[in-house]
Amino acid sequence: MFLLFLSLRLAIPASAQTLGKAPSLSMVPVALVTAQRAKQTMVSLNFRIPAGYHINSNTPKSEFLIPTALKMDLPTDIVLGKIEYPPGEDASFPFSPDEKLSVYSGDFTIAIAVHPLHSVVPGKYEMRGVLRYQACDNAACYPPKNLPVNFEVKVVKEPGAHQANPAQSPHVHG
Amino acid sequence: MNRNPLALVVVALVVALGIYVGYHKARRSGASLTSHLTQSSPAPDFSLQSLEGKTTHLSDFRGKAVLLNFWATWCGPCKIEMPWFVDLQKEYGAQGLQIVGVAMDDASKEDIAKFAKDMGVNYPILIGKESVGDEYGGVPALPESFLIARDGKIVDKIIGLRGKAEIEDAVKKALDTKPGTNQTSAAASTPVFQPQR
Repeated sequence: MFLLFLSLRLAIPASAQTLGKAPSLSMVPVALVTAQRAKQTMVSLNFRIPAGYHINSNTPKSEFLIPTALKMDLPTDIVLGKIEYPPGEDASFPFSPDEKLSVYSGDFTIAIAVHPLHSVVPGKYEMRGVLRYQACDNAACYPPKNLPVNFEVKVVKEPGAHQANPAQSPHVHG
Repeated sequence: MNRNPLALVVVALVVALGIYVGYHKARRSGASLTSHLTQSSPAPDFSLQSLEGKTTHLSDFRGKAVLLNFWATWCGPCKIEMPWFVDLQKEYGAQGLQIVGVAMDDASKEDIAKFAKDMGVNYPILIGKESVGDEYGGVPALPESFLIARDGKIVDKIIGLRGKAEIEDAVKKALDTKPGTNQTSAAASTPVFQPQR
């Protein structure tokens, strides 16, 4: 009975339990990415928004809304290519039934291109960045937050590179 | 291994009790952020700049019923409330209502002013500070409004978007107070808008 009571207490709907509590996005861990030198490699970053919340898309419909934006700080000689944001979902909410907002909810993916230059020493590199977002639920909005983003890239030589320099070891060790 | 079912039940109950106590402790600690501001608490005084550059204190509105609204330009629900506040200010201003907006925004003063102008705001907008938000419990979600009686005591708090009627009821409750008296104790004669520090 007690356990039943406890489970009921813990099962309070998010909207009632967390009003006033800012939601936290999470990033699905990224498996080690292998990127060839002098070539662009696309990396998918998957994010999860807790149920009952939404965040603005990268292209919100009002100048005052804070867009979701990824900012990466990559190691020297690894160039950040295009960041591809998913299109926002046009949605209206009880607080603004006549207005469509461009939002993300649930799971969404941002794809980024990493381009290790020819000068990069093969090996593993840590990519770091932040995802800035601002969340709301059906009745309230929460201050903007930054979610740390990081993943590892294993840079390998371009094919044929070892043939150009036969003296160099053909094996790459991270 | 021979396990005593009763012992397993006891262990399960102890674990469940631990979770239950922890859960409630966590809830209480979250609530404690605002527990110093309860109904009839003196509203913390502050000093903030208005959009016009005028230094404004909450105590400047002594004797009036104040609806202190924390908002931001990026907050959709806040935008819905603003026309209601404009109407309420028009309707109840003569009776002593003063709506005061506090923009908890990273946007520039110019952007906030443009937003307020576009919304036709007819009440003062102040540029918020984190320290003032902290005094009011951290203001973790917007909009958040405090209804402050004429004697400077908090009579209600509204978090998130509610209906206009609910806000109006709270306004009436704040208006239906007397300046300089304590709602909860007729004997008390504490100064209004006592600074908290």
